[in-house]
Amino acid sequence: MMDTLISVFRISVKAIFANKMRSALTSLGIVIGVAAVITMLAVGSGTQQEMTERFSRFGTNVLFLRQPWDLDESISSPKDVTMDDVRAIRRLDGVAAAAPYISSGFTVNYGYTSTSVDVLATDTDIFKTYDWELAEGREFTEKEVSDYAQVAVLGATVAETIFNDVDPLGKTVIFDDIPFTVIGVMKKSGQGGMGFDMDEGTLIPYTTGKVKMNTGWNNEDRRALDRVIIRVKDFNTIEQTKQAIANTVRNTHKIHPLKPDDFQIDDFASFVEEAKSAGKTMGILLGVIGAVSLLVGGIGVMNIMLVSVTERTREIGIRMAIGATSADIRLQFLAEAVTLSCIGGLIGVALGIAATLIVAANSTTIPAQMNVTAILVSFGFSAATGIFFGYYPAYKASKLTPIDALRYE
Amino acid sequence: MSLIETTNLYKTYVVGDVEVHALQGVSVSIERGEFVAVMGPSGSGKSTFMNILGCLDKPTKGKYILDGIDVTATDLSKLAGVRNRKIGFVFQGFNLISRTTALENVELPMVYNHTPSHLRKEKALEALKAVGLEKRAYHMPNQLSGGQQQRVAIARSLVCDAPIIFADEPTGNLDTKMSIEVMDLFTRLNKELGKTIILITHEPDIAEYAGRLITFRDGKKISDEVKRK
Repeated sequence: MMDTLISVFRISVKAIFANKMRSALTSLGIVIGVAAVITMLAVGSGTQQEMTERFSRFGTNVLFLRQPWDLDESISSPKDVTMDDVRAIRRLDGVAAAAPYISSGFTVNYGYTSTSVDVLATDTDIFKTYDWELAEGREFTEKEVSDYAQVAVLGATVAETIFNDVDPLGKTVIFDDIPFTVIGVMKKSGQGGMGFDMDEGTLIPYTTGKVKMNTGWNNEDRRALDRVIIRVKDFNTIEQTKQAIANTVRNTHKIHPLKPDDFQIDDFASFVEEAKSAGKTMGILLGVIGAVSLLVGGIGVMNIMLVSVTERTREIGIRMAIGATSADIRLQFLAEAVTLSCIGGLIGVALGIAATLIVAANSTTIPAQMNVTAILVSFGFSAATGIFFGYYPAYKASKLTPIDALRYE
Repeated sequence: MSLIETTNLYKTYVVGDVEVHALQGVSVSIERGEFVAVMGPSGSGKSTFMNILGCLDKPTKGKYILDGIDVTATDLSKLAGVRNRKIGFVFQGFNLISRTTALENVELPMVYNHTPSHLRKEKALEALKAVGLEKRAYHMPNQLSGGQQQRVAIARSLVCDAPIIFADEPTGNLDTKMSIEVMDLFTRLNKELGKTIILITHEPDIAEYAGRLITFRDGKKISDEVKRK
């Protein structure tokens, strides 16, 4: 049996190499399909992994409390999220820290240099929720928060841009016409995306922000916060803590037991889930694109195999005359189609890996991660394409009668 | 019992609206070891007769027993095995498979009866030696002369030890010298190996090599004479 298969395979390779140009063009469809699937899935899984990493770096035991962007219509007078909520939440058992969060973009000036910066007005709990580290100087204190102190902790990129070689500590920078003394500079965290990008930002006490520089944010109500960032003590009880926070906020907002919440609490676990399902959707989409290109490639294979069967009708007749059964003929042509597709598949895998490596090495914006499953699956699909699209021509060949095939001119 | 026994073979083709009666009641019996020439003008039914004897086609009516096997009662799909074991074919156009060496061409029938590869090569070389082409084993068909190609085809017909060789105009594409070479080879195979040889030809001097001459006309056997044993 093995012997027969080896003979069949050798005959296939010969037949394929007898028409090099034609075979190359035919398998090109498969090559492109497989290479595209591998590359796209590599980019897809790279993107997904990066998103997941980004979220987990931020910490899965962090919760956001905020007013929903699309409020339920039944809520006539939603209450803002305020410091009352923050204080109430801080008293809860499962909560490690809760920081107010108001942010806006400003231009920061130092001497003649200026840059745009995200200002985050908050209090000392912010240092307990994010894992930022100081490069130099210090964090602001509770006293500075209650004293409306005009102090700022700069992000690494901001400090670099406006101070260059000068030591920023103790220098005065100006946001929104108000001078702030730089008391600290953060280390580069490289944390973009969800949440606050500290490298591009600056921290100031929320009291100072609310009272002294109300240009641009919450003019009509100085009590409102954009959101509250909460760090829970134990990730395993995050659901209970979340529930406790919700109850507390309902209480401070004095919501009637039968009325819905006028706030929402997001956690990063759900963001991670969302990112994963987005990744899955993207995977399906890419899979469909790959399937379409393999389909087109498969039709090419089928077309050329039909031509081959017609061209070699006489050969089929000879083989039948000397003892080949219909099954032998079918196996022969099927083997040729599969070999052709698999050669295309192998070249496609090689190209796909090369493309992935090139993308990974040269692009900082598109992450690419080699996906072994994608490689195996797409190669498997190329073989399956050969079987599927090779079957009909092979069947057609096997249905010839020896006498008709031999007479064919 | 005869090696080949046909009783009242009929073959009717329908071409468009016209029925063509290619064979009309042919009964022939051929013994093991005979060398038979079949002659007749084109359209006489001799090719149809050969195709049926060679198990490439089935008669419309009648009975054909080959070496004890009732061919008419056997499914066309099962006849592949019968052809493989009982019959070797030699065609006018050589019908070798291009792109493959002489050796691989000779090995091919054994691929289809699942002979192990080392045995295949051994037997194929032996068969090529029998036709005097062992030195050309690794040549492609297009590197061989017509006579050599036909000898490769003869080697292929020998390799499964089939008792019968059907030769359909084997010298039709060959010059006189090569024709003599090939016919001498058939004679030798008949005498030395006891092969039953059935030869279709329209050249009387080629038919001379055979010991028995069957003539066809209009789908019927009109003469059957044994010239020598």
